[in-house]
Amino acid sequence: MATSTSDSQKTPLYETHLKYRAKIVPFGGWAMPVSYGSVLNEHHAVRKDCGLFDVSHMGELLVSGPKSLEFLQQHTINDLTKLSIGAGQYSAILNETGGMIDDVIVYRVASEDYFICVNASNIDKDFHWLNTKSKPWSQRHQVQVENQSDSWGQLAIQGPKANLALEPLFGAEKLEDFQYMQIREVLFRGQRCLLARTGYTGEVGFELYAPPGVLPQLWEELMGTSNLSGIKPIGLGARDTLRLEACYLLYGNDMNEEVSPLEAGIGWACKLGKGVFVGSEALVAQKAAGLKRQIFAFKMVDEGIPRHDMLAYSKDAAQGTTPKALGMVTSGSVLPTVGGAGGMALLDPRHIKVGDQFYVDIRGKLKTALVVPRPLYKAKVK
Amino acid sequence: MNFPKNFKYTKDHEWIELQGQIAKVGVSAYAIEQLGDIVHIELPKSGTTFKAGESFGTIESTKTVSDLYMPVAGKISEVNQAALQKPELLQEDPYQQGWLVKIALEKDTSIAGLFGSDDYEKYLRESGS
Repeated sequence: MATSTSDSQKTPLYETHLKYRAKIVPFGGWAMPVSYGSVLNEHHAVRKDCGLFDVSHMGELLVSGPKSLEFLQQHTINDLTKLSIGAGQYSAILNETGGMIDDVIVYRVASEDYFICVNASNIDKDFHWLNTKSKPWSQRHQVQVENQSDSWGQLAIQGPKANLALEPLFGAEKLEDFQYMQIREVLFRGQRCLLARTGYTGEVGFELYAPPGVLPQLWEELMGTSNLSGIKPIGLGARDTLRLEACYLLYGNDMNEEVSPLEAGIGWACKLGKGVFVGSEALVAQKAAGLKRQIFAFKMVDEGIPRHDMLAYSKDAAQGTTPKALGMVTSGSVLPTVGGAGGMALLDPRHIKVGDQFYVDIRGKLKTALVVPRPLYKAKVK
Repeated sequence: MNFPKNFKYTKDHEWIELQGQIAKVGVSAYAIEQLGDIVHIELPKSGTTFKAGESFGTIESTKTVSDLYMPVAGKISEVNQAALQKPELLQEDPYQQGWLVKIALEKDTSIAGLFGSDDYEKYLRESGS
């Protein structure tokens, strides 16, 4: 059961996690806390009070220069022309065939500066892709792409009492009128940090980018607000069950370079009307032809816990005939707040819709599941 | 961590408690701690026979699924319905309320190959646990 984390990168909080009795596991090349005791208790703590997550493994890129807007319009799916300074948007970087290189949040932090939060496992890939694509734009510094991942640690403070954890550190006035998806500068011990009203749990919350050196102090001061906020350290285990209930995608599980944003159910972030961008022609063609697979949310009807990569079959086959393949589970788990078990699956929308039942092959046994509307848990982020 | 002296243990962290020709089977406190929250278990029906070392079910935490291996050969005589209904019993009380199955030992079954509690603890230390 023990898996070595000796070759893994460590975040600035590795020693802190040990002190808080975390169980450490390898995750995407990093030694990360999966839990500090109980995944379920951590999950409920975030829904009820407040949780503190070390997400320093996430990457940060900065795209800047006079042509940064035009460049990113061509290399991300959402429409950046609508973004004011201090605002962010969910988006994705596609390849030419419309597959997702990564899903990202792009923040406009200054007139020509875009700060992009990328997935840990994709940092090098994303940087290389954007940096290479920016070469024709780099004359006279019209576009520069910088990998700042080593310069930033990141904490997530999530839950209905998140404000109470942050106010003692930054002052209540810094948090006033802070809208969902906005980002602002804050100071911690004289160091510049970026605080965003974002998250990956379905609760109100913040993601705080800070220089690695101040992270242990920052962690302890946030934990020091526990009398007010009820804040508790939360590992990646609960991060996964929380995001799954909210039906937020996990790169590498729910989508990858073979899956388009339309299939992944984030068509709402995909602004095909804004003009041509990398991957847009493939998406237009895919839309015209009709989707052959799409992300659905589901709940188990039978006993059993669905997991990533389990196969899904149609339930309408006659007795004794082989059930028809429908697709696969991309994420599955117990659903601590929703109740029962369930997840998300990439299924063929020509053969299934919300309200239909299907089978999940759980270790050789066909167990019944029900397609339900997304999300499984309605996010309370705004 | 507590490992009852009168129990026997396997390398896969199951325990048995012998009561004549019937053995109670469960999972050690060490394994439970490694797994974290137990959210689902699957167990065979009474009357099913197993060889020693054969998988007889699964134990599932929030993140992982692990096979359960039969420490000794025999036939399932009883299944702990309470544990099936309430898997957290395994965490709360792994050696009493959290037992999994009772098994009627096959004739001439030897338990000589299983660890005593001291040897099991030594095994955990040596395997770097």
